[in-house]
This record gives sequence, structure tokens and C-alpha cells, in this order.
Amino acid sequence: MQIGFYFDQTRCTGCGACQVACKDWHDLLAGPEKWMRILYTEKGKFPDVFVSYLVGPCFHCIDPVCIPACPVNAISKRKEDGIVVVDSQACLGSEACDFKCLKACPYDAPQFDQELGSKMQKCNFCLDRWAEEKLPVCVEACPTRALDAGSLQELESRYGQVREAEGFSYSKRTKPAVVFKPK
Amino acid sequence: MKSEGMSKDSGETKIVRTTSAFDCGGRCPIRLHVRDGVIIRVEGDDTAGPDEQLRACLRCRAYRKHIHHPDRLKYPLKRVGPKGAGEFDRISWDEAYNTIVEKLKYVKEKYGNSSIFLASGGGYLAALHNGASAMARLFNQIGGFSTSYGNVSSEGAVWACLTQYGSVMVGNSREDLLNSKLIILWGWDPARMISGTNTMYHVIKAREAGAKIISIDPRYTDSAVVLADEWVPIKPGTDTAVMASMAYVMIKEDLHDQAFLDKYTLGFDKFKDYVLGIEDGIEKTPAWAEAISGVPTVTIEQLAREYATTKPAALMDCQGPARSAIGEQYNRCAMTLCAMTGNVGRPGGSAGGGLMGIPVGHMFRASGIPAGKNPAEAGGPSVRGTLDLNLRLARRVHINKMHDAFLKGKKGGYPFDVKFLWSVANNHLNQLGDANKGARAYASLDFMVAPELFMTPTARYADIVLPVTSPAERNDLTRPWPSGPYYTHINQAIEPLGECKSDLDIATDLAERFGIKDFKPFTDEEYLRMFVEKNPETGPEVKDYEKFRREGVHRVKLPEPIVAFKEQIEDLENNPFPTPSGKIEIFSQRAADIENPEQVPPIPKYRRTKEDRFDPLTEKYPLQLISPHPKTRDHSSLYKVEWLQEVEPHRAWINSKDAEARGIEDNDEIYVFNDRGKIAIKAWVTERIIPSVISISEGTWYDPDEQGIDRGGCVNVLTSDDYSPGGAAILKTALVQVSKA
Ligand code: SF4
Ligand code: SF4
Ligand code: SF4
Repeated sequence: MQIGFYFDQTRCTGCGACQVACKDWHDLLAGPEKWMRILYTEKGKFPDVFVSYLVGPCFHCIDPVCIPACPVNAISKRKEDGIVVVDSQACLGSEACDFKCLKACPYDAPQFDQELGSKMQKCNFCLDRWAEEKLPVCVEACPTRALDAGSLQELESRYGQVREAEGFSYSKRTKPAVVFKPK
Repeated sequence: MKSEGMSKDSGETKIVRTTSAFDCGGRCPIRLHVRDGVIIRVEGDDTAGPDEQLRACLRCRAYRKHIHHPDRLKYPLKRVGPKGAGEFDRISWDEAYNTIVEKLKYVKEKYGNSSIFLASGGGYLAALHNGASAMARLFNQIGGFSTSYGNVSSEGAVWACLTQYGSVMVGNSREDLLNSKLIILWGWDPARMISGTNTMYHVIKAREAGAKIISIDPRYTDSAVVLADEWVPIKPGTDTAVMASMAYVMIKEDLHDQAFLDKYTLGFDKFKDYVLGIEDGIEKTPAWAEAISGVPTVTIEQLAREYATTKPAALMDCQGPARSAIGEQYNRCAMTLCAMTGNVGRPGGSAGGGLMGIPVGHMFRASGIPAGKNPAEAGGPSVRGTLDLNLRLARRVHINKMHDAFLKGKKGGYPFDVKFLWSVANNHLNQLGDANKGARAYASLDFMVAPELFMTPTARYADIVLPVTSPAERNDLTRPWPSGPYYTHINQAIEPLGECKSDLDIATDLAERFGIKDFKPFTDEEYLRMFVEKNPETGPEVKDYEKFRREGVHRVKLPEPIVAFKEQIEDLENNPFPTPSGKIEIFSQRAADIENPEQVPPIPKYRRTKEDRFDPLTEKYPLQLISPHPKTRDHSSLYKVEWLQEVEPHRAWINSKDAEARGIEDNDEIYVFNDRGKIAIKAWVTERIIPSVISISEGTWYDPDEQGIDRGGCVNVLTSDDYSPGGAAILKTALVQVSKA
């Protein structure tokens, strides 16, 4: 089975509830380490403006490019559900490997705290919740119900197979597990 | 209590179902995970399926970082440095109480009770612990006190609704939005201003059900980003002109609902005379409005036609644009358009008025501890239902003039000289107009007590600061601001931090020292049960108090959405409007009786004002300033929470045209200034704001440097401390200039 995300870009107000809920659940410090980020696009000239938001978790790719990028095999993909996890003990730390996974990932999902030598961490699809058959906390937090998650197959049958959204470009190499309703 | 422990820590983690008490308008059920006396996680509502869940926004998702913030005050403090410097020493409760009692007795004796001033605000809003009522009860029992009139948020809209409808319950429940074919967000940004949980979600659902949505706003708001088919940028303070010209188009093209007006309204002919220029020789044409507002004539014509011919349509005005120099006219004019299009009292329509109040779950209808009568205000004029602000201000000071009254007292024409200030659940220095004047006012006071959770810019001026419990440290009842339909229960999650006490306990301790018997005849728990069981609304509705308490929320099942004034529209004879005439008063005799037709016109009118965009002052200060609600705070509460700060850095919205003209690039440090003061802030150069307007969200903390430049970017350094003829705090009518720092 492969898990994945659904994101309805037409509903996202960029409010940040998902980002904060993620920090809360995983007890992350304020600062650059954000397992969920919100990306902003603004185009056009007043008054013809286009604005959209895009969520940025880890997309738990089908062929994750972060895995071969890591010199010590700290990243792996779980067989049973395709969740891409990182063994932070094994990770060399930001300076030592010069952010190789982050540089490889087209979606900037690998995250580092601001401290020197900090180990990579990232969205783990709320593994502990998933084990209890609960949805990721970002999904449950979204006030506009712009997010969903679960089996990618089920998401595709429910929401379709659109892989493009404003500010996002689908990488055929890494195959992110996400479908969209784009704006 | 149902326990659903986390995987790793089951047995040790308890789940507490509760809500916060922020001044956000939402009351979202949350589940706090508590371990070893510390809140370790926050989860959302699970008492309904995903669609019905009352989903918390980012603020309550960060709740634990507010409650357990390292800067929380935990011990009583006395000031040891100069006022405002923030130098304090820890003292005991005994010492704090002794000092307070001594001061109170002295002031009462020497200057009389009217010199005791109670300033309260929306720091936390709940039935039992809300800042004001416990101290009001105490002060009343020792002879009374002085206080302010009005609230900062909504007085313009309240005045307008009372004038037009005689009622503030002007809202439809949010499910009714799904019946609309056209929704006009006129200055309304529900994504940011919560105003009843899930409101934004319902507007999204309405859009997805096919409603067309238009946003009329100086900014392309996040609500507009998601909702609007069309954004109509407009200059601040000119909404009423555009509305009047929409009325002009409707009248000229005979698109208005004359039968509705004839049956349900009073004075439309007078409004028509104004619009057509019969009254004053100026036709309120779209071209006239274009010159004022910057909205093109064709856009206005289309708007008028579309609104008049799409049925039903909901014109959603708000309270924000009404916090301006003659802001109440905006709500009055909106309500008049609602009547002209026959949308009042109709499903999918709207009554306008900006208050969105429904009579189920409304905070105004909650019970609370009785404050009793105020002997210091005895014999004052009756103010019930009056539109005359002078009557309301006979014994009180308008809230936005509070600091001016501290400075000037009776010599300045105010009804009292303040010698003792109890300043609770507010951060008025920061949140009222003209913060620099506020700072001078606090510095001038003889004695000030500030019960607080944090050392706010206001509290820094206090002589005694008392540490107050947060709503996570006590039990209480809360309601959403205007529109339920639900009630929420706060359940205590953790023990009071440090030596924190609730305001009610503080008042009770002081009462004892004054020898008052039976000040608090019931326990907190007894009170709460009574407030639910004896309240005319919740009594019959909430059958099982224990269940309500356990679940933290009680939803009212409405057979159909509430539509304001439906009864009046269906059967006017038996259900007249609660106005003197029994009709919707487009012409108000009560307003006419005030005999100030320029400032208090009996029919809604566009009016030029001080610091509008045509004021000669624009030569010096060419930009109009607006100060919307922040999305990462509740006003100035939650300011310290870093998780929230990083979601949206505090920056001034400035159009690229205005930025370029000043050599400003995105993220540059800029100064924003006028004669009232100067703030330092970063610029956000964006196409999402109309040129010549700058937008700075309210609520960051005032922090002046040696030169008096506010490094905190507190927007109220720049706003005025005036109020409108209807009583609105004028926080959105200010002219400024901007320069690169
Ligand atoms: S999004 Fe990036 S980090 Fe996540 S699996 Fe794909 S390549 Fe790896
Ligand atoms: S799935 Fe969990 S870890 Fe990943 S972004 Fe969402 S909340 Fe964060
Ligand atoms: S919580 Fe939902 S609406 Fe808010 S930023 Fe995240 S996805 Fe967007």
C-alpha cells in the first residue's frame, strides 16, 4: 500500500493551522524546522492579482530521491505503507553531509533545526497516529478541510488523479504521492 | 472523563475537553493532552464528523505555547523602576493586597468613589472569569466606581443596527449562506476574523454550491483569495458613497423592491431624495462615487444590477470598516441596500448591519456573576435604547477617550478624575487609539493595578501586577461572540501556575479584607451549574449539565437555519420590528431628534471626515492607514507565541507603486509616521492592496526606543483616540507617510 495526500488548493487560505498543529504534535521548536510548510504564490499586477497557497509536507514519494542521496542510508521507505522515514540517529547531521537529502528533494521536505550539526527530521505522516488509524494531525486541523490523506489509491478514486497545482511541479523521477484540486 | 491516551504514554496522559476564552469570536472545542501538570498536545473537536466538527484555527492549535510560555507571570510584583520601564520586584500576595486596600481606602476617602476606575477588555471572555464582573461587584460593594462606555470592536455597527432595526440580532446562522446565490463580502474577511467557528468553511461551501462571491475591500484578503470571483478594490472610508450610488442605479433603473420598501420600511422617500440629489443638489451617481472611492463607474453599475437582480443575495458588511470616522453610516447604508433588494428576513439573503448576531449561543445572552448596581453612577440619565451618545457619556468616558480622561480629568470635561486604576483583561495602551498618548496617560496616574498573564505594554505602567490564571487553569463557560448555535464549557486542565489566582478569587480575597460578608456565596462549580440551569436559553436546552461539562460543547440542533427578522417579514402586524415605528427605519426620528444632521443624519449618508483621503493633510501624509485583525493573534493576546509569529511575520502591506515611489523594496525596514508618532516595521510589497493605502495588522506590542520610535510596530501609535458620532472607535481613519528606515 502507498499512502498519500490530497490537497484542495481552491480551499486553502494559507492560515497555518496545519503547520502549527504539526509542530504541536511532533513537539518542534519555533524556527526553521517545519515538517509542514505553506508556500505562497502571488502573480500579476494590481488589481489583476492571482494568489495561491500550497502545502509542503513530505510527499512520501514512490521513488524517493532522498534515499539514494543520503550517504549513510538514514532514509528508508516502509514496505507496508510507503511512508518515508528517517533514522535520525544514523543521520550525519547538517554540516557533515552538507544537506544532501534536502538538495536532492525537489520539495524541500527534509528539515533541519538551526543548530549546528542538527539531524534531519521531516514529516513522517504522523506515524504514531497512522498506527492508531487516525488521520495526520494536519488533515484534522484544517479549518477549511483542504487536506485529506490515506491510501493513495483511494484518494485517487475519490478526488481524481490531478498531479499539478500552482507552485508545484510533479517530478517523474521521485513520484510524489499526492493528488490535487488545483487553483 | 473519557480517556484516550497516546500510544506511548497511555495511563499517564489525560485528555481534557475544553475551549479557550480568546476574543476571536470562535469557541472551538479542543482536547488538551496533559501529563505531569503540563499540556503537551492539542487536538481538535471530535464530537462530530469531519464536516460538523468545530475546527480550531492556528491560534488554539498553539494554545499550550501561550499557557506555558516562559514569560507568563507567576508571582505578584511591585514596580521598582520608572513607569513603563518594566522593572519589578516579586512580592507576596499579602503585601500586594495590603498595598491595594490601603490605596483604595485612601482614594475613596480623599477623592470619592468616582476616582476609582475599572478598565476592562476582551483579554478573556467567559461567564465566571472575564476580568470585569468580579471587580465591578467588589467596587460596587465599597461605594462604586467609574468606567468607560462602549467597546472598541463594534460600536459603529451596534449604533447602526439599533437605529435601523432596534436590535443587534441581525444575523442569519451560517448554514443559511448555502441558500445564497450571491454573497458580497464588503470589508469582511472571515478567514482571518473567526466570528463563529467554521464561518469561513461555510462561505466556501456556499461558493462550491454555486454562489457567486464578490469582495469589496482595500485589500485582496485571504478570504477573497479563496472565495471571490471578483475583487473590487476600494479606498478606505468611501464605502458609503459606493453604496449610495448603487442605490442610485437601482432607483434609476427601477430595480429596487418598492413593495418591500412600502410595507416594511420607513423613510425610503427621504433616502431617495438624498440619492437623487433632490435634497442637496448632488446626484449620487456612480461617477460621483468613482471620484470618491476609486471604484470605476461600470463596476458600480454592474454591482448594483447584479445585487438587485440576483435573488436571494447576502450583502455581508462587517464591523471593521465601521471603526472609522463616521463608520456607522456604512452599516446603515448596507442595511438600506438589503431592504431595497428585499433580502431582509429571507433565507439566503441578509439584513446587513455587520454584527451577525443570532439569538442562540450569543455571548450577550450568557449568565454571569451579578455585579450589582453602581452607586457612583446612580441618578444618571437612562440610556436604554438611546442613540444619543451624550447621554451615554454623561457618567462615563468613551473607551477610545479613556486615556485622554486619565490625563485631563474633570478639567478636560470628563465626569471624574482618575486616581486609582484597576486595569484588567485588556492591553489598552496597545489597543486603543494614539498609543503614545496612552503611555503618557498611564505615566500620569497616581496608582494602578494590573492583573495579567503577561507583562504587556500596559502592565508595565502598573504599580502592582497580579498574576492571573489562564482559562486552562480554571473551569468556566464560554460562548462564541455573535453566532452559535453552540455553547462551550471550559474544563480546568492544569493547576494554576506559580501563585496565579483568578480575578474572582482576587476580588474575593479583597472583599474579605474590606469585611464584606458573602461576597462569593457559591463555589465556582455551583455558579457554573446555575449559569447553565437558570439561564433562559440554556436552561431548557441543556438537559444534562454533567454531560455538557464532560463533552465541553453543546450544539443546538436548529430545525432550519436562523434568519434574522423572518417573523417580521412573514407577519409584520403581529411581529413589528423593535423600532419606535415598528418598521425598518431608513429614516430615524430618534436620530433626527439629536439635531445634528451633519454628523448624525437621520437617513444614511456619505460624509467627508477628518483625515479622509481628501483632507489637505494628505499633502503631508498621503497614505491612508488601515489596521485589520491579525491572523496569528487575538488582538494583542498570543503575541508572544513564536509558533504563531513565524506563520506570518509582522509587516506593512504596501502596493508596489507606493513602494517604488519611496525606494522601498520587499522586506525593507520602513518608518510609518504621522503627527501622533512613528513606528518601525518591515515592508511587504504586494499587489494585494490598493495604491495609497497601507495596512498594518493590530496587536503587536508597543516598544518605543529612546527617540520614541516604536520598534514593536504597534499600529495604534498612528491611530486617533477619537470616536465617531455613533460611538465607533476611529481606528481606521488615519493618514500617514512612509519612508525607508
Ligand atoms: S518529498 Fe522529498 S523527502 Fe519526501 S520522499 Fe520525496 S524526495 Fe524524499
Ligand atoms: S502528516 Fe503529520 S508530520 Fe506530516 S506534515 Fe502533516 S502533521 Fe506534519
Ligand atoms: S490548515 Fe488548511 S487552509 Fe490552513 S494553511 Fe493548512 S491546508 Fe491551508
